[in-house]
Amino acid sequence: MTTHTDPPEGARADGDDESLPCGRPLSRVWDDWERQTDDPHTATCPHCRTAVDDLALLESAVRGLREETPDPSAHDAEPLTRRVMDLVRLELRPGRPLPLGEPAEDLWIMETVAARVLRAAAETVEGVRAGSCRIVDADGHEGGAVEVRLDIHAPADAALRPLAERVRQRVREAADRELGLVTASVDIRVTDLVDVRAEGREGDTA
Amino acid sequence: MAGARRPTAPPEADGGTGDTGVTADALLVVRAAEGDEDAFATLVQRHAPALLRLATRMLRTPAEAEDAVQDAFLSAWRRLPEFQGEASFGTWMYRIVTNRCLNVLRARRPVAPLEAAGEVPAAEHATSPARITEGRDAVRELRDALDLLSAEQRACWVLRELDGRSYEFIADAVGISQEAVRARVFRARRCLTRALGAWR
Repeated sequence: MTTHTDPPEGARADGDDESLPCGRPLSRVWDDWERQTDDPHTATCPHCRTAVDDLALLESAVRGLREETPDPSAHDAEPLTRRVMDLVRLELRPGRPLPLGEPAEDLWIMETVAARVLRAAAETVEGVRAGSCRIVDADGHEGGAVEVRLDIHAPADAALRPLAERVRQRVREAADRELGLVTASVDIRVTDLVDVRAEGREGDTA
Repeated sequence: MAGARRPTAPPEADGGTGDTGVTADALLVVRAAEGDEDAFATLVQRHAPALLRLATRMLRTPAEAEDAVQDAFLSAWRRLPEFQGEASFGTWMYRIVTNRCLNVLRARRPVAPLEAAGEVPAAEHATSPARITEGRDAVRELRDALDLLSAEQRACWVLRELDGRSYEFIADAVGISQEAVRARVFRARRCLTRALGAWR
């Protein structure tokens, strides 16, 4: 987390620094202290020691202040999440309507709503996580059929072809049964392979 | 390790959290950008605690901190379709909250002499050095002294000292160079050591 990219020398190009009576810039003395640099001069120079003691005094007050703010886990995120989501739902993000049922019927579903159902269907296949899900009108198809383009993360050890076929099957079924959408095609794109077992172990030790 | 002094592990949000029941941020971001409110709610729930802590440290009043985080999330929701994922969602949110807080701090002190805070003379203390070293008083004095800092100094200082962030991270979050961050943290420290009555 500590950066070593710029050296203490020249770190203050703004002329804002000041020199201690021993000639050392205050900024350098404090930088050295922060980096825990061992320096024979600082160890013996009374001016540097005083400057370091002042900073150490500040740092001990800082520790007290740091402890005043509770750990993130102490925050209950629920009320804030609710307030944010109330506002989010008030935002008009129109999205695109998709035709449902027969062409003569005036029945539509918003793409975002349909996508949520299809992602959930894809995730019924073990180890699969769904990302982007676009649903567009299929060209040249009668009866308001749609094309589904779905991105997934798949388990690293899975055979991808059968897995993709299972996902495609679940998506088609959900589109048909839960939404009444006719799917002309379901394109699956595997955007990442996830090592489920390794992460499971990681989770255990965390 | 030079950074070993710092006890605060950066509460870096789990941008890449993988699986076993938990959906990675990256996937939730894509879904939310496509209008999935439930996905966004999960992101809010996951990141709100760390962001609330950051805002509370910046602003010190819980109500203002909550407002800042709420505004930041709403702004994120609106901008999600443009979010290209060049940073993790957590880092992106951190940046948005930092900027919200900076705006709040700037509004508090509209014509504050930005660069003059470092020149504030040592506070006139009727306080004995023995009392200063007493922990609780020092913390209270430090809390008051934070108001002497400019908005930019305060933001950089809080990110560095209370949040334990690297200079590189702060430079990215605030949108200035690392050198400028170092200069601001330095000025903030000088101002605060003086205000604590320690600096001669």
